[in-house]
Amino acid sequence: MKMEKATKDQIVRNVILSLFIYVLPIVAMFITFLITGQRPWEKKVHKIENVKPSTFKNSQNNGSND
Amino acid sequence: MEATIEFFKKLIDNLNGIGFPYLVFFIGILEVSFGLYKNKWPKNERWVDISCFILPKLVVQPLVAYYSLHFLPFIFPQAKDVFSWVPFFWGFIIIAIADDLTQYWYHRLHHQIPWLWRFHRTHHSASYMGMAMASRQNIIYTVFFSQIYLTAALVYLGLGIPAIAVRVIKSTITTLAHSSIPWDKPFYKYKALRPIAWVLERLISTPATHHAHHAATTDDGVGYYKGNFGNMFFLWDIIFGTAHISRQYPSAYGISHYEGDQWTAQLLWPFFKSKVEGSELAPNGPIVRIEDDYEALARREKNKQQPVAKVASDKNRVPAFSNN
Repeated sequence: MKMEKATKDQIVRNVILSLFIYVLPIVAMFITFLITGQRPWEKKVHKIENVKPSTFKNSQNNGSND
Repeated sequence: MEATIEFFKKLIDNLNGIGFPYLVFFIGILEVSFGLYKNKWPKNERWVDISCFILPKLVVQPLVAYYSLHFLPFIFPQAKDVFSWVPFFWGFIIIAIADDLTQYWYHRLHHQIPWLWRFHRTHHSASYMGMAMASRQNIIYTVFFSQIYLTAALVYLGLGIPAIAVRVIKSTITTLAHSSIPWDKPFYKYKALRPIAWVLERLISTPATHHAHHAATTDDGVGYYKGNFGNMFFLWDIIFGTAHISRQYPSAYGISHYEGDQWTAQLLWPFFKSKVEGSELAPNGPIVRIEDDYEALARREKNKQQPVAKVASDKNRVPAFSNN
């Protein structure tokens, strides 16, 4: 049993539209950052620099760095 | 503030781990209490439902654990937590769309590509709706369930909390859509609630739209197994033109020519084959079998003990499988 051409064409059209939908929220997020001037990725680097080294007493992951 | 975040994190974790099985169990008890399984859960179907609920978990969970703990760190060692800076709101939106749209396609292709249909047939062979059949799937369909790996990858990339939040909401919506309790009925009945119903039935899967997808026929204006593929969001069906909204519930569910394939074949096809002659899961069975006609189906519903003869008058009549 073969797939009908109309079904195949509809799938192709819908897949192309889906790719656009996948990207849409990511683009919207960066547009928001651009408008508000937020740069959360920089905050993350800053936070890591200020973190005290963990010891066996304060570590919550039993000393594992994973 | 950190304590609050930690509280919500634990809450979401608990809902994800314990909450979902409780939800399924609770709705299942309600369904049994209301007599919704009365004479509808024969021995063979019980075996299919129970084996499909338990056995894949023994295979899939270790597989996903291996994928998350060993495969991803091996392939992308530098990528761990690389997106942990993404705000929760955006993480939630991105994952909800990526996760559910991927599942929409996974589901739709199993209905539209002939050779994939037999991997999804088990989910549609149940002649009833409810918690009993919600997990009913062939093992291959479950193992290659793309959305599971996508969620695991997102957790690895640092989007764990929004990923789990999406999973909790999605599980609740899909579980309630499969339930035999028509919770959406009051929204159609009372005039004041109809605007909410209009939005709701276009946004998420409801019992009415998802039950239509599980209908045994597509000829009565209610059932529509050729569409309504959405899991959490019904919006995909609206966007891609695969939606059918009737605000009614089908009179019969399942596959019109179904004759009770063994649980081994339904769960483990193609490793185990069905002994039912002419079944799509039988050794020489068709890839997609022609559907019994609407009148024959109505007769079967009237006298459930007697299986109807196959009517092959129209080549386009294929059960649950959609090729147009």
